[in-house]
Amino acid sequence: MNGWIAFTKKEFMEQLRSYKALTLIAVLFLFGMASPLLAKMMPVIFSQMPVQGISITIPKPTILDAWVQFFKNMSQMGIIVVLLVFSGTLSREVTKGTLVLPISKGLSRNAVILSKYFASIISWTFSYALAGVTACGYTFYLFGRFSAPHLFFSLFCLWLFGAFLLAVIMLAGTVVSGNYGGLLLTAVVLAVMLAVNVFPRINKWNPVTLASDNSSLLLNAKTVGDLSAAVWTTFSLTVLCLILSLILFRKKKL
Amino acid sequence: MEILKLDHIQKSFGKLSVIQDLSLTVSEHSLFGLIGKNGAGKTTAMKMVLGFLQPSRGEIRVCGEKVTYGKTQTNRSIGYLPDVPEFYGYMTPKEYLKLCGRIAGQKPEQIRKRTEELLTLVGLANVNRKIHGFSRGMKQRLGIAQALLSEPKLLICDEPTSALDPIGRKEILDILSLAGQQTAIVFSTHILSDVERICNQIGILDQGRLVLQGDISDIKSTYRPDTVRIELAGPSGVSVLAEKLQDFPFVSATEVKENAVTVRLAGVEKHGHKILELLVREQSPVLKYEVQESSLEDVFLEVVK
Repeated sequence: MNGWIAFTKKEFMEQLRSYKALTLIAVLFLFGMASPLLAKMMPVIFSQMPVQGISITIPKPTILDAWVQFFKNMSQMGIIVVLLVFSGTLSREVTKGTLVLPISKGLSRNAVILSKYFASIISWTFSYALAGVTACGYTFYLFGRFSAPHLFFSLFCLWLFGAFLLAVIMLAGTVVSGNYGGLLLTAVVLAVMLAVNVFPRINKWNPVTLASDNSSLLLNAKTVGDLSAAVWTTFSLTVLCLILSLILFRKKKL
Repeated sequence: MEILKLDHIQKSFGKLSVIQDLSLTVSEHSLFGLIGKNGAGKTTAMKMVLGFLQPSRGEIRVCGEKVTYGKTQTNRSIGYLPDVPEFYGYMTPKEYLKLCGRIAGQKPEQIRKRTEELLTLVGLANVNRKIHGFSRGMKQRLGIAQALLSEPKLLICDEPTSALDPIGRKEILDILSLAGQQTAIVFSTHILSDVERICNQIGILDQGRLVLQGDISDIKSTYRPDTVRIELAGPSGVSVLAEKLQDFPFVSATEVKENAVTVRLAGVEKHGHKILELLVREQSPVLKYEVQESSLEDVFLEVVK
């Protein structure tokens, strides 16, 4: 437990001093702020564009547009930023050999994985929550209201997907060696899930739906029930990834 | 008390056998030099002691406790200094030692006290900048501080001096021999003079086997080469002298080099006077008559032949 606390503190120190936390918070905050703004500005932007002979009619932007924009940004760019910020967290230490000394001091290997996962999920949660609150605020400011159907469930889904992704990063870091192996493997896992998403039968269980069906939820095209299977699979897969990382890391050569 | 015991350890990576049947014991207060060529298996042996690698066969005990691969309990009695220690570059030495102390389960008060003592010992007391700007020697010294932080019973140093300049080496050796007053040290190297300087026990590792182990002074006297070197004033009579020396039945070989002749013989104490008598008889202009000391290098070269 001592080791876990000490190492978690070190993780936070690393995130702060290597500007990882700052990058993540700043980028997600920007998305949270820009999404409602962009939705509001869209008609203005289009009207400024020189289009000859074509008349484009754009419906008046709504709260839904603001949130659709938010989820689009978060599930694509946001997830990529999370991937880039955290993908090297374990593999870099293994490659550089910085874990040798703490482990030679009696730090348990489980504590390494758990500290890293805990610290990264706290950062993800904090920056995502900040982005969410900012988006709420701006939407309220620009549209007078901010609530949309299934908004909080939809936000939760994307958060859970992020948590799942962080677990995949941990597992990838224990399986593959090298600085970019972990990033590559995580990207492959994402690509496979996206590819599999075209099969409607598996679709229901696919974690990727948590990051792709947010708009459908907002538009009432899908219900909480439709996504509950995916929520449970994602949760189970997250736990499974972590357990596997713990087991595999125990046998990792350092 | 036995601090470290390796019992018939074997290790192979795939088909490559790195350690073959290695057994050794290190007792309290010994400064044990593990000598071997590059690739002899020194680092592998040390990593197995720390539980970083799994022995293919055999058992390792640290302070009587069995070492299990992937578990780290036994490491609490060990301080480890790798050949090139890697730190978190964004920390200061104090912060790093604090992290180490917390991991090892020490109390904050104790950590503060030890940190001050050790940073003074290794000469980093007033260095408050981040580690990423440190030179190799500074990193090595910080490495020793972190290894000694939790007052370990055993300090394992993997080639601590190999990458350093002469001054850095001397500093590290001085610190190690100071530390050796409190803990047992296992110290691997291929620099023999370092071992001669600080170790009291040695083990020579060759092709995964311990070919020699024991007290350094015992080993040196056992391997005394029985060589006499005679230096004359000029090169003129040297070869004649060498021929005459060769006529003695106890002389096995002579070697002439410039104005000196090196004689290998059986029993310097017993037959040495006969050589001296010859020198007087021949009225050779002797500058120097020297019974050569065996160096660790001779021993090493002899056993790894």
